[in-house]
Amino acid sequence: MNRGLLSMAVLLVVAMLVSSCLFVVKETERAVVLKFGEVVRPDVEPGIHWKIPFVHTVRRFDGRILTMDARAERYLTLEKKALMVDAYAKWRIIEVRKFYTATQGEEARAQALLGQRINDGLRNEIGRRDMHEVVSGERDQLMEALTRELNNVAKSELGVEVVDIRVKRIDLPAEVSPKVYERMKSEREREAREHRSRGQELAEGIRASADRERTIIQSEAYRDAERLRGEGDAVASEVYADAYNRNPEFYAFWRSLNAYENSFRSKSDVLVISPDSDFFKYMDSQSGKR
Amino acid sequence: MAWNEPGGGKDKDPWGGGDQGPPDLDEAFRKLKQKLGGSGGRGDLPAFSGNIAGIVVAVIIALWAFGGFYTVDEAERAVVLRFGRYLETVDQGLHWNPPMVDEVIKENITRVRSSAHRTLMLTQDDNIVDVSLSVQYRVADPKAFLLEVRDPETSLGHATESALRHVVGSTELHQILTEGRAQVASDVRTRLQRYLDLYHTGIAVDKVNIEDAQPPDDVQAAFDDVIRAKEDEERVKNEAESYKNGIIPEARGMAQRQNEEANAYKEQVIARAQGEAARFQSLLTQYERAPQVTRQRLYLDSMEAVLASSSKVLVDAKGGNNMMYLPLDKMMTQSSSPVPLNEQTLRQLNERNERALPAARDQRQGVQP
Repeated sequence: MNRGLLSMAVLLVVAMLVSSCLFVVKETERAVVLKFGEVVRPDVEPGIHWKIPFVHTVRRFDGRILTMDARAERYLTLEKKALMVDAYAKWRIIEVRKFYTATQGEEARAQALLGQRINDGLRNEIGRRDMHEVVSGERDQLMEALTRELNNVAKSELGVEVVDIRVKRIDLPAEVSPKVYERMKSEREREAREHRSRGQELAEGIRASADRERTIIQSEAYRDAERLRGEGDAVASEVYADAYNRNPEFYAFWRSLNAYENSFRSKSDVLVISPDSDFFKYMDSQSGKR
Repeated sequence: MAWNEPGGGKDKDPWGGGDQGPPDLDEAFRKLKQKLGGSGGRGDLPAFSGNIAGIVVAVIIALWAFGGFYTVDEAERAVVLRFGRYLETVDQGLHWNPPMVDEVIKENITRVRSSAHRTLMLTQDDNIVDVSLSVQYRVADPKAFLLEVRDPETSLGHATESALRHVVGSTELHQILTEGRAQVASDVRTRLQRYLDLYHTGIAVDKVNIEDAQPPDDVQAAFDDVIRAKEDEERVKNEAESYKNGIIPEARGMAQRQNEEANAYKEQVIARAQGEAARFQSLLTQYERAPQVTRQRLYLDSMEAVLASSSKVLVDAKGGNNMMYLPLDKMMTQSSSPVPLNEQTLRQLNERNERALPAARDQRQGVQP
C-alpha cells in the first residue's frame, strides 16, 4: 500500500483504540467503573475519562432527581377511618457505590424498596393522626417527619437521598363517597330550608308590622278626626250658648215656633185642636175675651 | 446564513463548487475520468492519492467545523455540555462550539406553557369538591430544567396536584366555591413554587388559575336548590314589602280623608252655629225693640204656617162630656189622596224621616248602658 492510504488506516485504527479507551459521563449521569465486576472508581465526575478497554466496564446511573410514584393505598387513620392516599417521592442517587451494591444498579429495585418504606412510614404517621389532621392541618409536618425518617435509612442502606415526599391525593374510599354526598346533600337541604323559612319569617314580620302600622294610622286618624269634630261641636255650642244666653226665654219661644213649623208641614199630619188656644183667641169673640 | 458569515471562510462551504452551476459538475466528473484514465503511469498514483486523502480530510474537517455553528434565538438559552460536563449557558446570537466535543441543548425560556388539572378532592370540612385549575409556567433556569430533574413536567404535574390538594384540604368548601377562590389560587402558586424549587426543576410559575370549582355532580342539584332557596327568600321578602308598600300609603290616604272630613265637619258646625247665632241675634235685637208685637207676630206666623199646611180638626169640646167620633183614618186617606205625590212632597217626607231617624237612634242609645 502507498503511504497516504496507510497513514489514513493507521489514523483510523488509532482513533478507534483511543475512543474505546475513553468514556463520557454526562452531567445528568453518575457512573462507577468496574474492574472485572469490582468497583474501582466509585464516583466518576461528569466529563471525559480514560479506561482500559475490556478490563474496565462503566455503569451509568441517572443522577437527576427522580420520581417514585407510589400506587394509591388504603390507610387507616387514628379513628379507624379509611383513606386512599397516593404519594410520590423525589429522590436521587448520592452514593453511587452504595447504590450499585445495594440494588445492582437497578432503578426499579430501588423504587420498590423506597416505595415499601414510604408505605410503612405513611401507615405509621397516618395511624397516629385523625382524619382531619391528615387531610388539612398537619400534612406538612407529616411529610417532613416522614422524609427525615426515611432519609436516615435510605442514605445508609441505598445510597440515595429522599428530597421530598408528598401526598398527591387523599381521597375517601369509593364506597364512602356516596355517604359523603348524602351528607353534603342533607346539609344543603338544611340550608335551603333555612333560607325559605327565614324568608317566610321575614315576610310575616314585614306583613305584621305593616298591618300594625295601618291599624295605628287608622286609629290615630279616627282619634284626630273625633277630636276635630269635638272641637267643632264645642265651638258651635259656645257660639249657640253665647247667642242664646242673651235671652233664653225668647230663644225657647222662637225655637219652639221653629220646631212646630218643622213638625207639622204635611197634610197627613192631623191636628185635633181645641179652640181654647191663643191662636183662636179671636175665633169666638172679636174682642178676644172669652 | 452561517456559512456566509465572514468568519466562516469559503473553504467550509460544502457546496463551494456549486457556484458554477450543475452542468459544470458533469464537466468536473469528465475531467476526473480523463485524469484517471489518461495518466496511465503508476508512479503518479501516490501523489494523486495523497492529494485525494488530503482533500477528504480537509472536507471532513470543514464539515465538522461547520457543524459547530448554531444560533440561539432571542427567546432561547442554550446549555453547552463539553464531553457531557456542563460548560456554560449561552445567550441569543451566533455561536460556535466544536461538534462531538460539545453538546448544545436549546430551551425556550420566554414561552408561557400551560398545564391543566381537574379532580375531585376533600376540603377541610370533609366535603368533596370538583376543582379544575391551570398552571402557567416558564422555564426560568434552563440548566436546572434540562439537567437536574428527569421529566420536569411530570414533576410539575405531581407538585401541582399535591399543592392544590393541600390548599383545598385546608380550606372550607364554602370558601372555595365563593370568595376564597383567588386566595386558593395564590396559596397554590406559592406552595407549588416552593416544591418546584426544592426539586430543582428550573420552572417558574407565572400564574395559577382556578378555572372552576363546583360541588360534585351528585350534589349539584342540592347546591342549586340552595341558590333557588335564596331567591325564594328574597322573593317572599319582596312580596311582603310590596304588601307593606301597598297598604300603608292606602291607610295614610284614608287617614287623610278622615282628617279632612273631620275638618270639614268642624268648619261646617261652627259656620252653621255662627250663622244661626247671627240670625237669632238679629231677630233678638228687633224683638227687644218691640217684644210684645214681635212675639205675637212670630207666634201667629208660625201657627199659621203649621195649620195651613197640615190637616186639622177643630173640636170645641168645652161641653166636653159627650163622646165624639172622629174617623181619623178616613180623614187621613181623604186628605192624603188629593195631595199630589210630587217631588216636593217626597223631599219633605225624606227630610222628615231623616230628622226622625237620629232622634230614634238617640233614644236607643239612651236606653243602652
